[in-house]
Amino acid sequence: MSENILEIKGLNKYFGTTHANKNIDFSVKKGEIKGLIGENGSGKSTLLSQIAGLYPRDSGRMLLNGREYDPQSPIDANNCGISMVMQELGVVGTLPAGVNIFLGRTGQFTRNGIVNLKALNKAAAEQFAKWDLPKVPLNELTDGMMIETRKIIELARALSVDPQLLLLDEITQSLSMNNRNRLYDLLKRLKAMGRSVIVITHDVEELIQITDSITVLRDGAVVGEVLSAKTSPDEIKRMMVGREISGEYYRADMKPDYRDKVVLSVKNLLVENEIEDVSFDVHEGEILGLCGLSDSGIHAVGKAIYGLTRRSGGTVHLVAKGLDIKNSTMALKNNMAYVPKDRDNEALMINASILDNLSLPSLSELQGKFGYIAPRKTKRLASDMTKKLSIKCTDINQTVNTLSGGNKQKVNLGRWLAKDLKLLILDCPTRGVDVGVKAYIYSLMKELKKEGIAIILISDELPEVLGMADRLIVMKGGRVAGIIRRDEDFTEHSVIGVMI
Amino acid sequence: MQPLQSTQDSIKKINQNPLIFFLMLIAIIAAFAVFFNFVTGGDFLERTNVTVIISHIVWPTFVAWGICFLFACGYTDLSIGAIIVLGSFATCIFGNWYGYPGVILGGLIVGTLLTFLNFNVFAFTEIPSWIAGISLAMIYEAVAVFLKVGKSTADLIYAEIDKSLRILGRLPWSIILLAAGFVAAYIIYNRTTVGLNIRAIGGNKEVAKALGINIVKTLLWVGLISGIFIGIASIVQESVAGRTTVRTGLTSIYVVFQPLAIVLLAQILQKRINIIIAVPICAVLIYAVFNLLTILGVPSGTLQEAFLGAFLILFGIIGQRGYKGVVK
Repeated sequence: MSENILEIKGLNKYFGTTHANKNIDFSVKKGEIKGLIGENGSGKSTLLSQIAGLYPRDSGRMLLNGREYDPQSPIDANNCGISMVMQELGVVGTLPAGVNIFLGRTGQFTRNGIVNLKALNKAAAEQFAKWDLPKVPLNELTDGMMIETRKIIELARALSVDPQLLLLDEITQSLSMNNRNRLYDLLKRLKAMGRSVIVITHDVEELIQITDSITVLRDGAVVGEVLSAKTSPDEIKRMMVGREISGEYYRADMKPDYRDKVVLSVKNLLVENEIEDVSFDVHEGEILGLCGLSDSGIHAVGKAIYGLTRRSGGTVHLVAKGLDIKNSTMALKNNMAYVPKDRDNEALMINASILDNLSLPSLSELQGKFGYIAPRKTKRLASDMTKKLSIKCTDINQTVNTLSGGNKQKVNLGRWLAKDLKLLILDCPTRGVDVGVKAYIYSLMKELKKEGIAIILISDELPEVLGMADRLIVMKGGRVAGIIRRDEDFTEHSVIGVMI
Repeated sequence: MQPLQSTQDSIKKINQNPLIFFLMLIAIIAAFAVFFNFVTGGDFLERTNVTVIISHIVWPTFVAWGICFLFACGYTDLSIGAIIVLGSFATCIFGNWYGYPGVILGGLIVGTLLTFLNFNVFAFTEIPSWIAGISLAMIYEAVAVFLKVGKSTADLIYAEIDKSLRILGRLPWSIILLAAGFVAAYIIYNRTTVGLNIRAIGGNKEVAKALGINIVKTLLWVGLISGIFIGIASIVQESVAGRTTVRTGLTSIYVVFQPLAIVLLAQILQKRINIIIAVPICAVLIYAVFNLLTILGVPSGTLQEAFLGAFLILFGIIGQRGYKGVVK
């Protein structure tokens, strides 16, 4: 494991006046699993994008197997044996999953101008079988598929290139535990085959566990490189942020701590083909966790409670107001909030400003006589929230799509904090955010809990729900498989036992 | 190995089986036809009337297929009506001069060239297509008027084709043309690299770009493919109607009303069946409604279109029933 597959020397990349990558020296050995970590906006994705041929570099050299490497496009990179699963890119919803795997390369299945879809789907299925990926309906359009399924399709697409170097940009956080384990096995297999992988993830513990070495970026520059076996999460965090970060950001107490008053009562909730007979109460000041494997239906619960999907049966009763919540408008009006997992597509108005995004849910509170909304009020709200949440931006008029993942998530959360909430539903709130923002979100949850706000925390990350929840609902096949209290057998082992 | 999406629910599968849905749709149309026939005292399914319906759906179907390619790549072009008018004028003028070669080449060349030209404008200027389309429509209307009368005028201008040159508007030729168009549209849309690339651009331009799809080249292909369908539509329209009228001031936009309604209806159905298949079915449905209203003596124009609008909404509701995507 001594020969480098990729060497980068003195690489620089600018976006306008922003120096996104500063004199990067970086290398990956053959058969190495290399981790890349840094705060949101530290230049990790930019670096991978240049390796994958998405952006041209401004200066510096890249060598692939000792030869000059200068990809002009992702196809160029593919032809050189490099492929990437990007953080936000996704799939084409208007095309079937099978076509998505070979999009841009359908020529290999074309004869006399006609694409042989049967052969294409067969080849796609072979890729899923070859790499032991979970089955996906290849003939179906990807539009209605879950975010996890879409990520698996992207992974299959990257693997279909048979890459010598695979680049994974924050893929694990889109996967549930079972498929995450499958990905870890895949990484081991690639390593055994002598292939190399660069992995970006914000989960420090996971990164240490799955990689051979880790490169840390800060403000666009490499600030350190360590062997995974000889480092600790605290050392990595310190290198990332340039200061000491306390190791424990979860709750320290080990018993449930909430008031008796029920805020929301869910009875026999039924969403066709998704969830069945789901019942539970959430109390004032309680963090109620929901976890399960990929087809467990946890994400459907959040949407159904907030009235975003049509319920086939059951009731969602907001006890304090004596109301049955029928739809999202009713939920919003009655002090409920929902933060979805798919931040860019389902939560934020990505091309609108921070100001618009932060003020939108509070417009009814901000409006004066005859429905007039004074600009100074929206500006004040947005400025206060930007300051309170330390959102890194040029000003409140900056469009959200130019923010880093962590700052987008702060906007996503902040818009609700301006309201007088009774219940907050959080679906994977720390997906794609760095340790600093993660710590901030957890402290925010603790604060809201203290204020008596009920929180439903849906998460694919077991440590997160175990670290934060008072009670944990474990779901399996769309049903509640068990409820565990914080003072009971509240361990990964017991939760996995119920899940499986 | 655990599948990512549940495949256990067989009822859901049957509900979403395209073939079963297609057969159900045919059964519904047959039921409507019988009902319409009853309402009109047997006139609706009378042989001549059926022939009229079939003859009249051909050109809007071709336009609708052309629009399918436009919409698939995420573009809207409001000059299509003007292109059809200009194409029909060319069919008429060149047909009267050179006979059938003039009929075919006149409409086809004008339709293809102008749509292709439009997409050059969209691809290279990056002006939003609906804005550029309106500007181009005004130019094409003026050209059509000038081509016919040799001067600019606000009067209603018309072009008439010789009766002996209208064979493509009659059975069985129009139906043969429709069948050939269907095969071509289906294959291009679903089974060619360019068709898949067009849909990729409309679905997610960034992904398409990242996967090495040449956006400009693909857009020009859209112009060419849509242009051929619109060109053929011009020929058939002139052959069926025998006369095309135009007046400057964006009056040509009205020409695409029916094809647009067909595409919108087909888009509702495309969750269940392929849009290229849905287009002729929707064309039959929409024209059947117009035909019924005409037989019943409902004045053409405003009232017929109000009925059509109501029918579209009703059909949309039926089309959406029972369909449920997986929660993202």
